Amino acid sequence: MQVSVEATGNLERKMTIQVPSERIDTEVDNRLKSLAKRVKLDGFRPGKVPMKVVRQRYGSGVYQEVLSEVLQESYREAVQQEGLEPAGNPSIEPTSLEGGDAIEFTASFQVFPEIEVADFSGAEIERPVAEVGDEDIDRVIDSLREQNKEWAEVKRKAKKGDRITLDFVGSIDGEEFDGGKAEDFQVEVGAGRLIEDFEKQLKGVKAGEDPTIDVTFPEDYPAENLKGKTAQFALTIKQVEGPKLPEVDEEFAKKFGIEDGSVEKLRADVRSNMERELNQALKGKVKSQVMELIIERHGFDLPDALVKSEINRLREEAEKRFGGAQQSQPLPDSLFEEEAQRRVRLGLALRAIIDQKGFEVDADRVERDLEEMASTYEDPEEVKNYYRSNPQAKSNLESLVLEDQVVDWVVEQGKVTEKKTSFQDVMNPNKESTE
Amino acid sequence: MNSRLMQIIQGPVVSEKSTNAGEVGQYVFRVLPDADKAEIKAAIEKLFEVRVQQVRTLNQQGKNKRFGRQFGRRNHWKKAYVSLAEGESIDMGEGEQV
Repeated sequence: MQVSVEATGNLERKMTIQVPSERIDTEVDNRLKSLAKRVKLDGFRPGKVPMKVVRQRYGSGVYQEVLSEVLQESYREAVQQEGLEPAGNPSIEPTSLEGGDAIEFTASFQVFPEIEVADFSGAEIERPVAEVGDEDIDRVIDSLREQNKEWAEVKRKAKKGDRITLDFVGSIDGEEFDGGKAEDFQVEVGAGRLIEDFEKQLKGVKAGEDPTIDVTFPEDYPAENLKGKTAQFALTIKQVEGPKLPEVDEEFAKKFGIEDGSVEKLRADVRSNMERELNQALKGKVKSQVMELIIERHGFDLPDALVKSEINRLREEAEKRFGGAQQSQPLPDSLFEEEAQRRVRLGLALRAIIDQKGFEVDADRVERDLEEMASTYEDPEEVKNYYRSNPQAKSNLESLVLEDQVVDWVVEQGKVTEKKTSFQDVMNPNKESTE
Repeated sequence: MNSRLMQIIQGPVVSEKSTNAGEVGQYVFRVLPDADKAEIKAAIEKLFEVRVQQVRTLNQQGKNKRFGRQFGRRNHWKKAYVSLAEGESIDMGEGEQV
């Protein structure tokens, strides 16, 4: 077998392979021989069919079969012989297959780029630092109270935050319309669940009143027959209730699974949960910076085949996300190209770093991460067992750990500046205040 | 007359026996039942452009076949063994196909 490799581009390789036709012929003969023992042909006793006839009947089929096998096989051998690492499948093109002493074909493919691990010294990484403060815990507890609030009837006028129970009948120009009528309807004033005009006018009503109000539907109201119109609603206010937030006391603590009802314990529980979330968020921030750095600092060519398959994967995911709605035509490649390139680049670079720097999965660390992750579940042992007995889940976890190790390594080299932020800024970067 | 000549030869007979006959320069054909040896000779010489030395024929009785309670009989047919002159051969598509 003769092989010659030609570089037709940065990553493109064209390999010309010659295989002696003997190799094919002997294989064809072997197969025909074994076939002759099995075939049944009219006019011949089974197993007595002469080679000549078998060859005439099956020769070309077997030849094609053997040929394609030999092509695949010799391609693999050639790749190994030349020590190449093809990315994706080759396109094999025969140049001379018929007759002669040898068949010749070319295989074009792309190889994985040679990646030089970039130097990360001096890379600027910003590590946000934050702590869970007492006021952050207060805020969480407040929202827990909000979620568990109770209602108490009040005699005063309704104000924002109150819950009103009412009947209403709506009509436009004296005619009732669909959906304009309800009994024992409960509405929380200021929650924005009704149209604004309606809710606004509920402020200041009292139980037992039956006012009639004019409500103008907004222009962008979904119902065609109502938008922009003004309707009269006849209300019967049955009850006005004010919210009553539960006190933070033993009973409250018990509700959240603290058995001895200690408020201190509840706060500690909340704190440890928050701390874990915070730590994960902080870690995530550093990690995404490092990943960005890795992408930025590795400017190698990407094999098309890998990008293509990544595009296909992203497309599939996207299509699944859109509820599996049958697209009449597939989403265009261009939509995913950039993201796919990023991912492929990151993946290759990470692999190069891991290979070249000799990273190995730190088993202790895997164990630690597993422990931490499992502790958030109700039955930690079960989670741990799942990960230990399921090889795929385990290798997922391991590759995550490996990534973390790379991140640590990059961080070690880079210039880290710590930046003080608050819990709020880290967890809800888009919101100014609490929910 | 000429078109009859083209119809006489109905096809080759492929069997163990006919294959063996091929080894000694005899070729076996299924022919029209009413064809005579002279016609067969003429037809073979025309179709394959070879010289025929002799033709031996035989009538093959059709097999009795039964389908359930129905009895039937396949058509009788004529088989011809054609010996070619020295050095002649017919390519029955047995050549190396690859």
